[in-house]
Amino acid sequence: MANELTKPEELRIGVFVCECGLNIAGTIDCAAVSEYARTLDDVAVVVQNKYTCADPGQNEIKKAIREHNLNRVVVASCTPKIHEPTFRECVADAGLNPYLFEMVNIREQCSWVHQNEKEKATEKAKDLIRSGVARARVLEAQTEAVVPITKAALVVGGGIAGIQAALDLADGGHQVYLVEKEPTIGGIMAALDKTYPTMDCSI
Amino acid sequence: MMDVGRHPRIELMTFSEVESVTGYVGNFQVTVRKKARYVDASECTACAECSKVCPVAVPDEYQQGFSSRKAIYLPFPQAVPSAYILNMENCLGNNPIACGKCAEVCEKKCINYDDQDELVKIEVGVIITATGMQVYDPTEYDEYGYTRYENVITSMEFERLICAGGPTEGHFIRPSDRRAPQTIGFIQCVGSRSRDGRGNPYCSNICCMNTVKDTLLLCDHYPGIEAKVFYMDIRAFGKGFEDLYMRSKEEGVRYIRGIPGEVIENPDTRNLTLTVENTTTGRLEKHELEMIVLSQGVIPRQDGDSIRKLLTLSTTSDGFIMESHPKLKPVDAPTRGIYLAGCVESPKDVKDSVTQASAAAARASILLNAGKTKVEAITSQIDTDKCNYCGICAKVCPYNAILAPDRKAEKAPIIIQAACAGCGACAAECPQDAITMRHFTDEQMMAQIEAILEVEPHKHLLTFACNWCSYAGGDDAGTARLQYPTTCRLIRTMCSGRVDEKFVWHAFRLGAPIVLVSGCHFSDCHYISAVRWTQKRMDRMWNKLDKLGIRPERLRLEWISAAEGQKFAKVMREIEDAVKAVTTEEIEFTMKVLAEEEAKNKAKKEKRKAKAAAEVTA
Amino acid sequence: MAPRETRFKCLHCGHEYTGTYDPDNVTERTCPKCRSNSVRRLPDVKPTEKK
Repeated sequence: MANELTKPEELRIGVFVCECGLNIAGTIDCAAVSEYARTLDDVAVVVQNKYTCADPGQNEIKKAIREHNLNRVVVASCTPKIHEPTFRECVADAGLNPYLFEMVNIREQCSWVHQNEKEKATEKAKDLIRSGVARARVLEAQTEAVVPITKAALVVGGGIAGIQAALDLADGGHQVYLVEKEPTIGGIMAALDKTYPTMDCSI
Repeated sequence: MMDVGRHPRIELMTFSEVESVTGYVGNFQVTVRKKARYVDASECTACAECSKVCPVAVPDEYQQGFSSRKAIYLPFPQAVPSAYILNMENCLGNNPIACGKCAEVCEKKCINYDDQDELVKIEVGVIITATGMQVYDPTEYDEYGYTRYENVITSMEFERLICAGGPTEGHFIRPSDRRAPQTIGFIQCVGSRSRDGRGNPYCSNICCMNTVKDTLLLCDHYPGIEAKVFYMDIRAFGKGFEDLYMRSKEEGVRYIRGIPGEVIENPDTRNLTLTVENTTTGRLEKHELEMIVLSQGVIPRQDGDSIRKLLTLSTTSDGFIMESHPKLKPVDAPTRGIYLAGCVESPKDVKDSVTQASAAAARASILLNAGKTKVEAITSQIDTDKCNYCGICAKVCPYNAILAPDRKAEKAPIIIQAACAGCGACAAECPQDAITMRHFTDEQMMAQIEAILEVEPHKHLLTFACNWCSYAGGDDAGTARLQYPTTCRLIRTMCSGRVDEKFVWHAFRLGAPIVLVSGCHFSDCHYISAVRWTQKRMDRMWNKLDKLGIRPERLRLEWISAAEGQKFAKVMREIEDAVKAVTTEEIEFTMKVLAEEEAKNKAKKEKRKAKAAAEVTA
Repeated sequence: MAPRETRFKCLHCGHEYTGTYDPDNVTERTCPKCRSNSVRRLPDVKPTEKK
């Protein structure tokens, strides 16, 4: 497995604490959190950013990977549902396997929900980063499989939306299967007389 | 519509339903059931001879029941495909002797009473879901008398009555006496923005402008008609909308702010008297009208559950399908390779539906044009040395991605990587710990649990949350800035099915006062049925806690959907007392009991190992 | 195994109630009193004698 390549290596973790303007920094003491992250084992560098997801923030990550020879990256910012793909791409650009990246959510699940408890929120952020770093230590590089895409599309529903989507895809050169439950396409739209705002015929 | 029918690259399958979907992004295998039409659509010339001789007349759905159609019929003149269909439920009998008139007159001989459903298998790379919506049935608003008074109609019925292709050929008449009304009222928000449990709490988006349009059509066809619109707010927010609204006002349409409380019919004139509090003047008003149109809202398709489950999609709290991200990925479904278009996602008008459909097509084209894509390396792998061929994993897998082992031949199960979706339920259920869930390994999970409980473990609520629902629900609480106690320390898994018993025992052993496992509601599970294993495991763990003398109350379970930020925050607030109620003695006792239990198990394992080794040497 | 009558206990509010349990078709449980999902299926033996 891929991890055998990385295991004997000395761990060098970079932690990037995002302020997200005031979204995080307005509640959490980011400097204290960064300071704390520095004390964790195997952490080689900690960088605090106004917006880690913005280009300057991403450049900091790439720079740090090169300069500090990082082999793990932890970003403490918003939910991974938004920017995990962004940061995975960012570390991959700098030559790090994207699965050696870990994200810690200190915005949606910390600063935004504990706005009146600044101290406790800061402590929580520290705990979450400690957990993220612990996970990062044992992350393993992975290779993503490349799968082929069958060059055909299924559109379910033949109302105005399905019709438009099917036409666009077919005009773009793709094979389309349009499945409609009723005996005819047209959907609700076909039962309308005129449609706003142009007041023209629906069919 | 015609363009679809003749496009060389569109295969149109009407009167068909998706029966099954398997596979993953880029490689979906779909089975479509083409229902028996009893008329060969490719041969039918729509000459109408068959319906002329058909003796059966039933209400015409397309005309909202205002006129009738035959059992063999064309849904409407511009239907695509332009082919008749025989409705077997209406037909006099699937027996040519009983009637058989249509087949007799059909020159093309394209009517076949023995037609059968056909299953068609297709392979596609992407799927666009555009299953649409349904209009709200205003029956439960009894005060408007929709079921009692003939001259109270819905906006869909209005469309047919005003339409030149409608049952009255565009002569707008009221149903009771087929006379053109001189006064007409529109009641807005029927079934929308409701707070009394009837209808829906959301705004249906299209009804205000639809009514504005309707009033303009009336003023256009019947100058001098007196139209009144009863509303709470007129939402004319789109491009060109305000213009239309103003034009309607200039035409003399009266907009009265107030939702009527009651409609009463005068049995002699069949006119309707509507009582409303005009909230602008604060006065109670009565309006006598000859006809009333209920501006009905839009609701999710009530028959949409089967397709939703086939595509593993979830709904938001309003019942419409949830998008991958409400702002950044509004036409992507959370499952890769699946896109949303039109009202299936939320109520919208024609323009927005078209916009979203084009967006979905463009998003889908990205994959189709690329020809290949990377899939996340989050799949399970099996260590064949550890496996004892019990076969539980194959039973657990919701995707049938694990080929069962052969105990006799000592052949370990095989995990088909391409079919594995990465829920991790197999890894959690494997009694031998022989399955590794990549990127969510036992080691990685344990490292997180240990790190969280390293500092003041007794103060914190260790929570496992599944990526798709409860974690997203936590995000939703954040986005809405719902405040809750800081106690929670969350660990993300792809599915609650991944939460191995040993994670929970480890957490308690390290001094956790309460452990919360959270996941998707059963109907929303991103991994089809993996969440059922979570429930089964919880029962097992509760029983074990009981046996060990530990309060089962310390292990909690909550199903929280991605849209339930409110519930997430509520759970966090309500569980706070339980966390505080766990005493130090209780935690110490738990740690002791579990440590002893672990030691005992270890000893047992060693013994078994030694015994096995002895057997081998013997 | 066939569905059977069983006792459930809400671990959040303590409410106990009787419902059916089908081991072949596990369904979502919600406490009818407090809406929590921490609903434990009490063991089949002497289910009602629990506190």
